[in-house]
Order: sequence, then structure tokens, then C-alpha cells
Amino acid sequence: MAQQGNVGELLSMLDSPSLGVLEDITAAFKDNLICDRGPMLVNNLVDYYLETNSQQALHILSTLQEPHDKHLLDKINEYMGKAATRLPILSLLGHVIRRQPSWKHKLSQAPLLLSLLKCLKTDTDVVVLTTGVLVLITMLPMIPQSGKQYLHDFFGIFGRLSAWCLQNPGHVAEIYLVHLHASVYALFHRLYGMYPCNFVSFLRSHYSMKENLETFEEVVKPMMEHVRIHPELVTGSKDHELDPRRWKRLETHDVVIECAKISLDPAEASYEDGYYSASRKPCTNLKHHQTDPSASHYIDTQSSYGTSTPYSTPRLTLSQMPGQLPQILSPQSIQLSTEPQQVTIWSPSAVCGMTTPPTSPGIVPSESSQSSSQPYSKAFGTSAGGKGTPLGTPATSPPPSTSDDFVHVSLPSAAATPPKKEDKSDSGRPLLYRQQNVTNSDKSLDTPGSKSSVTLSDLPEFLGGLSFEDSAEKDREEDAISKEISEITTDAEHMVPRGGFDSPFYRTNESLSGSQKKTQSAVSGVQGHGQTSEPLTSSLDKPGPESARETPKQTFTPIDKPCGGSGESPAGNREGTSGETSILTPSPCKVPAQRRVVFGGGQPPLYEHLFEVALPKTAYLFVGKKTEELLKKVKGTQDEDCMASTSPVEVLDRLIQQGADAHTKELNKLSLPSKSADWTHFGGSPPSDEIHTLRNQLLLLHNQLLYERFKRQQHALRNRRLLRKVIKATALEEHNAAMKDQLKLQEKEIQALKLSLQKEQARYHQFQEEHENIVAQLHSQIRQLQHDREEFYNQSQELQTKLEDCRNMIADLRLELKKANNKVCHTELLLSQVSQKLSNSESVQQQMEFLNRQLLVLGEVNELYLEQLQHKHTDTTKEVEMLHAAYRKDLEKAKLCVQQQSQRLEASQKRIAELESQLSKKDHLFVEQKKYLEDVKIKARGQLQAVESRYKAQKRITQAFELEILDLFGRLEKSSLLKKLEDEKTEAAEAAEERLDCGNEGCADAVAGYSEETIGRNGETKPPSTRGSSSSKAGSNSELSTPEKNQNQRFINRWETSMLLEPSTTVPLTVGSLPSSQSFLGMKSRELFRNKSESQCDEQGGTINSLSDTLKTELCKDPNMETKAPPSPNNSLSPKIPESSVGQLHIMDYNETHHDHS
Amino acid sequence: MADDSQRNFRSVYYEKVGFRGVEEKKSLEILLKDDRLDIEKLCTFSQRFPLPSMYRILVWKVLLGIIPPHHKSHALVMNFRKEQYWDVHHALRVIRFINDSTPQVDVFLRIHQLESGKLPRNLAFPLEPEDEVFLAIAKAMEEMVEDPIECYWLVTSFVNQLNSKHKDALQQLPKILEQYLNIEDNRLLMHLKACAAMSKLPYDLWFKKCFAGCLPESSLQRVWDKIISGSCKILVFVALEILLTFKMKIIALTTAEKITQFLENIPQDNTDAIVSKAVDLWHTHCGTPAHSV
Repeated sequence: MAQQGNVGELLSMLDSPSLGVLEDITAAFKDNLICDRGPMLVNNLVDYYLETNSQQALHILSTLQEPHDKHLLDKINEYMGKAATRLPILSLLGHVIRRQPSWKHKLSQAPLLLSLLKCLKTDTDVVVLTTGVLVLITMLPMIPQSGKQYLHDFFGIFGRLSAWCLQNPGHVAEIYLVHLHASVYALFHRLYGMYPCNFVSFLRSHYSMKENLETFEEVVKPMMEHVRIHPELVTGSKDHELDPRRWKRLETHDVVIECAKISLDPAEASYEDGYYSASRKPCTNLKHHQTDPSASHYIDTQSSYGTSTPYSTPRLTLSQMPGQLPQILSPQSIQLSTEPQQVTIWSPSAVCGMTTPPTSPGIVPSESSQSSSQPYSKAFGTSAGGKGTPLGTPATSPPPSTSDDFVHVSLPSAAATPPKKEDKSDSGRPLLYRQQNVTNSDKSLDTPGSKSSVTLSDLPEFLGGLSFEDSAEKDREEDAISKEISEITTDAEHMVPRGGFDSPFYRTNESLSGSQKKTQSAVSGVQGHGQTSEPLTSSLDKPGPESARETPKQTFTPIDKPCGGSGESPAGNREGTSGETSILTPSPCKVPAQRRVVFGGGQPPLYEHLFEVALPKTAYLFVGKKTEELLKKVKGTQDEDCMASTSPVEVLDRLIQQGADAHTKELNKLSLPSKSADWTHFGGSPPSDEIHTLRNQLLLLHNQLLYERFKRQQHALRNRRLLRKVIKATALEEHNAAMKDQLKLQEKEIQALKLSLQKEQARYHQFQEEHENIVAQLHSQIRQLQHDREEFYNQSQELQTKLEDCRNMIADLRLELKKANNKVCHTELLLSQVSQKLSNSESVQQQMEFLNRQLLVLGEVNELYLEQLQHKHTDTTKEVEMLHAAYRKDLEKAKLCVQQQSQRLEASQKRIAELESQLSKKDHLFVEQKKYLEDVKIKARGQLQAVESRYKAQKRITQAFELEILDLFGRLEKSSLLKKLEDEKTEAAEAAEERLDCGNEGCADAVAGYSEETIGRNGETKPPSTRGSSSSKAGSNSELSTPEKNQNQRFINRWETSMLLEPSTTVPLTVGSLPSSQSFLGMKSRELFRNKSESQCDEQGGTINSLSDTLKTELCKDPNMETKAPPSPNNSLSPKIPESSVGQLHIMDYNETHHDHS
Repeated sequence: MADDSQRNFRSVYYEKVGFRGVEEKKSLEILLKDDRLDIEKLCTFSQRFPLPSMYRILVWKVLLGIIPPHHKSHALVMNFRKEQYWDVHHALRVIRFINDSTPQVDVFLRIHQLESGKLPRNLAFPLEPEDEVFLAIAKAMEEMVEDPIECYWLVTSFVNQLNSKHKDALQQLPKILEQYLNIEDNRLLMHLKACAAMSKLPYDLWFKKCFAGCLPESSLQRVWDKIISGSCKILVFVALEILLTFKMKIIALTTAEKITQFLENIPQDNTDAIVSKAVDLWHTHCGTPAHSV
């Protein structure tokens, strides 16, 4: 196992004195840790640490990274189980946890937590318990939400330990109990701060039990006096406070501060918010009530703090800058003189807060140089001159403050809480006015940068009045303000080194704490100055303000009271301080003082003033009370009393202080350099128990210290964050101011520009007017010129028209000239013509004369010839001429006659032709007509045939019907008339038989046996006998007849026979009514015959039709008439008449029967 | 003729070249366009060509005289016919010869009997041979004509025509058949005579019933075209063609009964061809009837 050996070597070399080796070794370890993931190295380290308590090992262990945490926790858990290693391993755990490793969230899941809780529940060693509780308290804010599952374990531990504190079952030293009590108190705060509802309910349930009542009364109740009502108790619930969301946004330091906020204990409470001063007040009031009869100086001292600072600050400022601000100060000084302290309190501070820093940073250094350390030290020197102690304090306090960085500025104050507390409270005081300035200036929006003296001068008054009204009445309001102030002041203090010179806070701070240098302005140091100086100055000033004491009825009562109170205490202080000049730091100063209070009961008056200096607040109150009690009880059981009224932390503080005091005393006595060595040497060998106790005590103290350091770190973290916010806010304000300045500048610029714009506008107007004038002039000129031009134009036009006229005239004249010339020429021409004509006419006249003469000559000759002629023709010619004429006339007449004749002939011939054509046309027409007629006839015949067939059908139908009827009747009668005469019956039967035969003959064939029948029938006509007789006579009739005639005859004969056959001879209409069977049969046979004959008639009628058209209509109606007519001439026999009558009858009959059937 | 100008001038030559039935429908339409229908022309047309089915009923009605040749009186006459039919029908219903369930052909028969006055005294009377003929024809006609009234009239007119016009000719037909058979196929005649089947051929079916029930209606129509148009000789040629067509089978059969039985139930599949051939045969033997202009 080279590795193993290597590790052993490394471990042995870990505590090497050589720095280089040390570094190398640590580096090697870290490398190993990175490479090796196994638990071996960590285990070895833990073992080594437990063995040697090596700081290097501790450092390595506390900086372990993620993968090794499990091994470490396992190892710690392992050792936790062993009682021997429990204490060192707890301290190791505490170290590790306080480092806040990145894996801290895993703690809640680790079994280590369980074992720790178990240990706390079961262990009986006070040291272990105290250490464990502190570790637990440290751990709690890291695992707020995951720790909730162990909530009841926490509460149980609290319950156990609180009971322990009271009962002390292990009977351990009282001194341990103090530590334990302090840690329980811290646990109480933590639990109450984190889980108020659950915790309160636990308290309610736990301490409602009787056996725990005493514990509650003695231990828990006093603790509860130091906490406010948690807001979560009102708004939250048990579940809500366990809600992970609540814790998610809170970091560890947030949780710590949350817990500190609800504390009323000045040792525990958070300084950053106002709970502190607010909590202090009821506390003091409470104390005041308690100590009312005897110890009124508590309030005095308290109020003396409120007033002492104002006194000091005005004084400082007045002394510093009377020349700078005479105009401002003068009214204030007047006020100061006239009014009591209030005005003087406020105004100077306000003035110095606002006006001292001129806007330019250049003045600041000058001022600071003016009021820099030298003058201030002078002032201090003057103030400290009377005392001496303050002189020492500035000298001593700066070194730690300057040595530390800003981050650690609060470190000494956190480490030494009492001085810090003082610092805070005291520095808060003077800054109260600054704060008010700031707030007021915020209201008026006029920061120190504004130069207007009016607001500045008004402001102090305003502020004075305001604050006077507010604060004069009660201390509470003052405290409330101071609470706000303390917030800002603390911030402001931190700002000083960081914020630029421009920040108002810096200025104010600087102006107030004048002596501070910008670069190395250690706040604590300054505060130390302030603190030390202020109380001192206040004490110095006390004789001065004593005059105000005479006005007790004033509301500003605290002022005169502290005078009295402080009047007493300074004396004691001085005494104490004078006695302890060797003490350089403020904290040692206090510690012995308190120590003395605890231990040396009779000494308190000596260093009582030191409490005032070092522990102005609660500690001082406690001391006051303590002394009072001491006075009363004369060295009673102080611790118990302490428990009852003071917080355990203070008790612890006192314990430490007392221990230190004793230690110093011893040292003083022995005057030896080395304490520890001397202790053993000179104190003899102290009992081992004592040593052990002391060691443990030391351990506990160390633990406590570590815990407090952890808290301080958390505070530092928070402070840093708050500071960042303040810086941002101030930067924004600065920015705002700058913007405003810019705005103003721009406004000015705008105004200037507006002015110039107006000017320019005026000029422009002027120019415009001028321009308009010129333009108007020019316009008028133009108009005139135009007018002239028009006139000229008119004139020229007139002239032109004239010119035109002239030209026209000239042209006219020329035309006229031309015309005249033409005329002249024409006339000349005419003249020549006329002359020619004249000559011609003359020649013609001559000819005419010649011709006339010739005419005359010829006329004479003619007369001569006429005479000759008349003489020759005389008689014969006349007759001949007459004859000729007569002949001619005759001839003409004859010719005319011939013509006429021939014309007539033609006409007649034409006429003939026409007529012939007409004839032919007519013939044609006739033919057509005939054709048409034929057509119509055929058509009609067609229709007729249809009708005929229909009629036939009807006839058949009737026959069928009749047959049916007859059949039916026959049956009827058969049955009914059987009894009738047999003769009749036989006759009828015969007749019926014959007729049926006849009918059958006719129906079947008309041709067969035709001739015989006709012959027979012809003969039959006359005799009115039965058929049998007629047939016998048939042979006699030899006359031949046409078939037509025959038929007719036959028909008639049949008729006759039928008529004869019927005995009743009634009209066939009544057929239906006759009941006799004979009559019916007769009817039937007759019908049959008639049908037959009719059909034959029809056939014949068809032939006739073609012969004669006229008979056509009649043919249809009664063919019988037609058929009858021809036979009559042939048949010249007698039976003609009866025939016709019968025929008519028949016709009627037929018609009627026909109608009946249809 | 003026009508000929409208017709295709080639129509005359079609027949000469051998085409048939090209312009028949058109020429028939022209014929039917005349107001007074020329019955002779229609007769000639019907004998020469097969009638188009769409005009067949009309032509038949005209030829059988059911409707007159004048178009105008067609409706009137048909109305008369209808009334007559329904009158008779009614009468028959009244005297209970027919009822709703009576078959149509029976109705026709009764109506015909009534109109011809041959109605038996009651329904029980046995049917006479002429009634059987009527029924056969009516059955065939019923297949061809939809309207019962038209059908009745066609049947009754057809029967009347047979009974009146062709009565004598029909009796001569068997002899003519023998004569033509001798010309066409002597051997077959010999065979038939040898079998003594010549007298036992189904003459009633062939010549009285005019092949009604023997040929399918589509073929029968064409035969009846010729009969209605006045030539009953076609029946002979149809019978002759049947014999010739089924010569081999007939020769195969040796008894008269079998031959008769076979001929009474000849296969119906090739009847169109038979009829066509018969018409051709008829035309060749009796000459194509010319247009009587």
C-alpha cells in the first residue's frame, strides 16, 4: 500500500513549519482528493485531525469538494457515535458547516443530522450539548425547508435543554450553564424566527404540562421577553411556514437576518432595521417601570444619549465653520440663544448637513483639510483635555479599523458586540439629524447641491419645527426616527469608502465626522471618535445645559434629566477611566467594567460610567439594574437575577468580561508578560478540575465566538447587498439631479432661442413691410405704364383704320378706271360693227329692189298665162268628175260593208271558241265534280259501311237479347201454360217449326231454292190464306219477274204471311205486352224475315245509287219505298193497294221497332 | 307520276340490279300520303314488297276495309268500330257469354259469332271447325296487334275475307301444291305419294288457318301481307317451301302420320328464310305483280 504510506507521510508533513512545504502538501492533498474518490484519504484526514487537532487538516477538510462530502459526513457520523470523539468531531462539523460548503443542502438527508439530533437528545455533557446546539443553530438556516421533518426533534431538543438549564441534572458548573443557556437562547431565537407557528404551538403544548411550567417561568418566559410577535403568527400558518416556496428565495444570511429581526435583544437583534431601537424602548420602559422608584437615572442616561449628541455636533460645526456660514448660523445662533436646546439641536446639524459641502468637490478637500484631523484632534484635544481617556481611544482604535478592509470594517464590531452596539447607537444619534436633513431635503427636492439660501435658511426652521414637534413630546418618536436613521447611517457609513466624493452621503458624513480622510476613513474609527467624544462632550457640556434643567415642564424633559443623570455618571466614569488608563481599546474597557459588576459587587460605581461609554444601551441598563439590585440585596444571587431580566447572551458577555477583568487584575498584580505560564506558575497548581473547567469554558467560548463570527459573516453578506442597493439608488439620484440640471440648462437655452426668435421675427416683419411698400410702388408704376400703352395702342389702331380706308378708296378708283376703259373699247368695237352692218344693209336693199322688180315682171307673166288657161277647159269634165265621185263613194261603202261582215264573223267565231272552251272547262269541271262526288260517295260509303256493320251488330245484339229473352220467357211459359189448350199448342208449334225452317232457309243460302219459292210466292200474293194454301197455288202463277221484283214480292208476301199468321193483328209495338207465346214467335219470325229482305234491298240500293244520284238520301231512309215503286208498274194487279198499305205499315213498324231497339 | 320525281330515281333500277326493299318504306309513305288511299296500289305494293311493320296494321286495316280509304273518316269509322265492339261486348256480358276472365280470343270469337248470327244457344255448345280456325287466327293476330279492338276487327275481317273472297280458291290449293311440288321437286312428291302422305298433309293448318300457329308471328305477318292483299296462292308456296326446306327430314320419315306430325310442328328457327324463299318462289311462278298505274 504505497498509497497508504504516502498518505501517512503526507499527514506527518502536514504540520510542517516550513511554509513552502506546507503549501506543497496542501496542494498534494487537494490533487489527491481530486484524483481519488475513495473515502480513505478523507478518513485519514479526519483521524489525523482528531489526533493532532491540526489546523491544516481542518482547513483541507472544511474545503472538501462535492464527491467527498459523503465520506466526510459518514466519518463524522461514525465518530459521533463514540462519546470520546464526540466533542472534537462536533467542533470539526461546526467548522465545516460554517464554511458553508456547496453540498450543505445534503446535510438534511445525511444520517449525520439524525445522529446529531440523537446526540443532542441524549448526551449529558454540557460542552458537547452546547457545541452541538451551536452547530445545529448554524445548520438550521442552511437547510430551512429540508429540516422541517426534524422539526419536532428540534423542539424536543429545545425543551430538553431549556429544562436542563433550570434543573441542571448533570450538576455541572454554573459557568457551563451560562453557555448552555446562551446557546439555548440562540436556538430559541432561531426556531422562533424560522418556524414561529409551529414553535409557538410546541411551546403551548409543551409548557402547558405542569412539570414543565417551572421551566417555562424560569427559562422560556424571559426568552420570550426578548422577541417580538412574529408577523408569521398573524399571517402565516403551520403549513405555510413549512412551505418550500417560502424558503426558496431566502438565502442563509436572509434566514439569519429574518431571525434577528424579530429579536428584541440588542445582542441578537439585527442592526439594520428599526427593531433594535424600537425594541430597546419598551425594554427600557419596562426597566424603567421596574426601577421607577429608585433608578430614574436609567432613563436619564438613555435620554442623555439622545441629547448629548446634538450638543456635541452643533458645537463642532459652530467651531468649525462659523465663517463659512455666518448668514445661516446667525439666525440659528439667535435661535439658539433665544430658544432652548431644540432649535440649536436641529438647525446646526441641518445646516452643516446641507450647506457645508459645496457642490464643487474642490471645496470639500479644503473644508476637510480645514476640519481635518488636526483641527478635529484639536477639538478632541480640547474636549479630551479634561479627561485623557478619549485621547487614548482615538489612538488605539484606528489601527484595527484601518488594518481591516472595508469588508472587515464590521468585523471588530461584530466580534466585540458591545462596542459595536454602542457605535451603532451612538453613530445613529448624530446621524439622526443628517437623516432628517436627508428626508426633509427629499421632501423639498432640494438636495445639498442647491444654492438657494432661502430654502436653506428656511429648512432648518422647518426641520427644527418638525422635529421639535415630533420628538419633543416623546422619546418614542425620536427613537422611531432614529431607527430609520440607523438604517441609513449604517449604509452611509459603509458608503463612505466606496461611494464617490460626489455622493451626498459622503459629504454629509465627511462634514459630520470632519476629521475623516476619504481614502482611509475607517468607519469604526470615526465612530469610535464620535462615540468617545460625544459622550464626553455631552458630559462636558452638562454644566452648560443645566440652565435648561430649570424648565422641567417643557416637553423636552429628557434633556434636563440626563443632565442630572449624566452628571452623576461622568464622575464615576472619570473615576473608572482614570483608574484604568492602561486599557487602550474600548472593549477591554467595558469588559473589566462589567466584570467588575458581576464579580466585584462593591466596585460598580467605579466603572459604572464605563458602561455608559461602552454599553450605552441594554448592557448599561443591565449594569444599572444590577447595581441597583446589588444595592438592594448586597451581593445576591446575581446570576439568577440576570436570568430573570437579562438575556443569556449578556450574561455570557458579562461572564467573559468578568473573567477578563479578573485576568487583567491578576496580571496587574503579577505584572508578568506571559499570562498562561504565570497562571500555572504563580497561582500554584490549580486543581485539575478547575483547569478542566477552564478549558472547557475556553472551548465553549471559542464555540460561541465561532458562532458569533458566523453570524457576523451573514450580516456582512447582507450588508454588502444592501450597500449595493444604496449605491444604485444614489447613483440614480445623481443621475436624476444631473438630468434636472441638464433640463434647466436646456430650458435656458430654449428661452434664449425664443428671444432670438422673437427678434428675428420682428426684423422679418420690418423687412416684409418694406418689401410690400416697394412692391406697391412698382405696381402703381406698372399700372400707369400700362395705361399709356393702351392709349398708344388705340391711336395706332385708329390710324391704321384710316390707312385701310384710304387704300380701299384707291382700289375703288382703280376699278372704276378699268371699267371706263373697258367701256370705251367696247363702244369702239360696236361702232365698227355697226358701220359694217350699215354697209351690208345697203347692199341688201339694193338687191331687194332688184328682186321686187323681177317679181313684178313675173306676176305680169303669170296673169298672162292664167288668162290663156281659162280659155281652154270649159264643159265635159264636170259630168265625168261627178260620176267618178259617185262610183268611188259606192265602192267605199261596199268595202266598209265587207269589212264589217268579216269582223262580225271573226267575233262570232271567237265567241264560239270561247264558248267551246267554256264548255270544255265545264265538262272538265263536271268530271272533277263527278270525281269529287265519287270520292265523297266512296267516303260516305266507307263510313256508311261502318255504320251499317255497326247497325248489323246492333241487330245481332238485339237478336241475341231477344233470343235470350225468348228463351227465358219460353221457360217461364213452359212452366205456367202447360195446361192450355192442346190444339193451340200444337198449331203454334207447327207454325213455329215452319217459320224456323223458312228463316233457316233465308239465312243459310238465298240462292238455294230460290226460283221455286218466288214463283210460289207470286202466286201467293192475292189469296189471304195461310202459307200452306199459298204454296199449293204457287204453280198457277207463271209470270216471271225480275229478281228485284221477286224479292220485293217475296218480302211483301212474307209480311203478309206474318200478318196473316198473327191472329191478333196488332201493332208490333205492343209485342212486349202480349202474353201469348204465339204472338212472340210471330214477332220473332217476322223480324228475321225482315232483316233478310232488308239486306238484300241494301245491295240493290247500292246499284241503284250509281244510277241516280238524287235518290241517294231517300235510299238510306226507306229503301222499301224505292223498291216498291218499280214493281208497281209491272205489277198491274189488284193487290197493289193492300200491298202498299201493308208496306207502309211495315215501314212504320220497322222504324218503330228500330227505334225501340236502338 | 309527280310522286316519282320526289323518289329516288334509282329506285327503279334497284330491283333490276337485285336490291330489294331499299325504297319501300318511302314509297309506301308516298302511297299513304294520298288522301284517298289507292287500294289497288296498296295491294300491288303489299304483294311486291314486305310491308314495314310500322305501317302494316294501317295497310291491313285499309285493305280489309276496316277503315275507309279517306283519311278524314278514319277516326270516325274507327270510333264506330270501337263502339260496335263495345256494344257487342256489352251485350255478350249481359247475356253472360263472356265475363272478365274470358280470354281475349274467346271474346273475339263470341263477338264474331254474335255479329255473324252464329252464336250458339249457350256456352256448352261445342266449337265448330270454323271457330277453331277463327281462334287460331285470332291468337296469331293477338300477338301482332296490341289494341284489342283493332285486333278484333282485323281478325274478323281477315276471316270474313277468307270465307268470302278466297273460299273457292282455298279448296283448290292442295291441287296447286301438288302441281308445283311436281315442278320443283319430283322426288319429294314421289316420296310423299309413296308414303301416301300427300292427302294427309296439314292442309287445314296451312290453308284454312293460313299457317297461324305454324309459323312465328314475325314470319306469318309477311305471309298474311300477301293474303290480305288478295293473293292466297302464297300459301301454296309457303307450304311448298316448307316441304322443300325439310325435304331431307321428310324423306327420312316414311309414314304419313310422322310426316304430318313433323309438318305440324316444324322448327321455328328458320322460318324467315322459308318465307323469303317462298315469296321468291311465288314471284317466279306467278310473276311479280306490276304497278297498276
